[in-house]
Amino acid sequence: MKAPCVSLWLVAAVFFLCSVRARGLRRCLISMDLHHIEEAFQEIKKTIQAKDPFQNVTILSTSETLHRIKPLDVCCMTKNLLAFYVDKVFKDHQELNPQILRKISSIANSFLYMQKALRQCQEQRQCHCRDEATNATRIIHSNYDQLEAPSAAIKSLGELDVFLAWIDKNHQGTSAA
Amino acid sequence: MQYWVWTERGEPHSPPLLSCLGWLLFLEQFSLHGSSDLSSNICILKQGWLRWTECFILEGNYVPGRDESAKTDPLVVLEEILTSLIMWFFYALIPCLLIGGVAVLPAPQNLSVQSTNMKHLLMWSPVIVPEEITYYFVEYQGEYESLYMSHIWIPSSWCSPTEGPECDITDDVTATVPYNLRVRATVGAQTSAWSTLQHPFNRNSTILTPPVMEVTKDGFHLIIKLEDLGPQFEFLVAYWRREPGAKEHVKVVKSRGIPVHLGTMEPGAAYCVKVRTFVKAIGRHSPFSQAECVKVQGETLPLALALFAFVGFMLILVVVPVSVWKMGRLLRYSCCPVVVLPDTLKITNSPQKLISCRREEVEACATAVLSSEEPFKAWI
Repeated sequence: MKAPCVSLWLVAAVFFLCSVRARGLRRCLISMDLHHIEEAFQEIKKTIQAKDPFQNVTILSTSETLHRIKPLDVCCMTKNLLAFYVDKVFKDHQELNPQILRKISSIANSFLYMQKALRQCQEQRQCHCRDEATNATRIIHSNYDQLEAPSAAIKSLGELDVFLAWIDKNHQGTSAA
Repeated sequence: MQYWVWTERGEPHSPPLLSCLGWLLFLEQFSLHGSSDLSSNICILKQGWLRWTECFILEGNYVPGRDESAKTDPLVVLEEILTSLIMWFFYALIPCLLIGGVAVLPAPQNLSVQSTNMKHLLMWSPVIVPEEITYYFVEYQGEYESLYMSHIWIPSSWCSPTEGPECDITDDVTATVPYNLRVRATVGAQTSAWSTLQHPFNRNSTILTPPVMEVTKDGFHLIIKLEDLGPQFEFLVAYWRREPGAKEHVKVVKSRGIPVHLGTMEPGAAYCVKVRTFVKAIGRHSPFSQAECVKVQGETLPLALALFAFVGFMLILVVVPVSVWKMGRLLRYSCCPVVVLPDTLKITNSPQKLISCRREEVEACATAVLSSEEPFKAWI
């Protein structure tokens, strides 16, 4: 009678740990207001996408990168892509129109806030980077480097809606605080 | 013994462009720096902005002829400093006289941000120029700009320019990061210097007040109406039955301004409601509002109503068949009356008696029959 009891305990413990870990990753972006960022982008989307000189290529390569990311890699991928936008894209883009500049500033500062929130998550739970996430990030960076900085920057800005939709999809169910 | 030796060095430097206020900033400086290699200490006297003059402090005795234009008297040095200062004062005044005084307008002072319920207001002391309208320009810089592109300042959406000494920066501060803010005044052709907010403003320091609510009852339904604070606000409504040990129900309300149904109340009980807000963007709650209670009427009224309804029903149950019967009778008489045979046509003898007459009595019977039939035939 003891052996089945012990094995039951073990199974229950494993389930409990798995659920805690999965929940932990999903709870990374609790107080995120993506709706506001999406709204800001919608206002400038047409103008930005019209300025893109190379309409046939993509930098985010959604089918090769974002759609292949598994739930365990979501935290790492989000962290990498936020850094990509904050450290590269927004810096390489020079905007003169004040109205568009305001919206880009709003998005950039919101991304900074998201990075801070993710860092807290990282310290508490493990936002571990596996090979899949690292490879996908590398593909995106190499796509970006193949174009000249201003063109690459404006193209990446135009693909923000793809990135935001991906975050929304993968960080759903985090409203339970 | 130490003595100073003066020599001219290098070509004169051209004076930099200065504003009228700038000349006050530079002073005659006397700096001394030495090196262990040199046998002497070299002192450099900055004589105004035009010339650098080196002087040497040499150990030992002065040897005439070794150094040209040697000056050993410190008092002479001071005199020279004074004359160059006076010279510079007049040099600097010339552009002032020519241009006629630029940037005398004082910068706005006492910048502060007052933020309540995610509405942020930048305020400052006004710059008053008699008989002139002062316009203010406001610019902001998020943490991203200050870290990655510190020269970029973004003009405010609503205050480029504005007339009053305040600016609604709610539409500018759109992320939960520290923002730098600066203001300058313009009157006519004059513009003041930029005045920057001392401590960067982060919108998570906003003051959240308990929300205003209106609790009503619609029959047995508990209805609440909440004030509209904007799309960033969610309401957490707590309501409970006012009795010891009652369970508290919590409902999250995202709709604003429209009445919301909380639940159905039991008769004779009192219910209390309190509410607080939650702002997802900054992850903070407001304090709870004061609890408001409503009481529902007891069971006496519904009982009377039920009794009345029952009586009425019974009445209907009696009245309706009676009236139907009456109506039926009326109709029967009007459309299907009963036909009554007059007395003269009535056969008094029973038919059996007539038929059971024997043969002998046939004639009598027939006569009897005839006697009764004749008037009948006559009638037909």
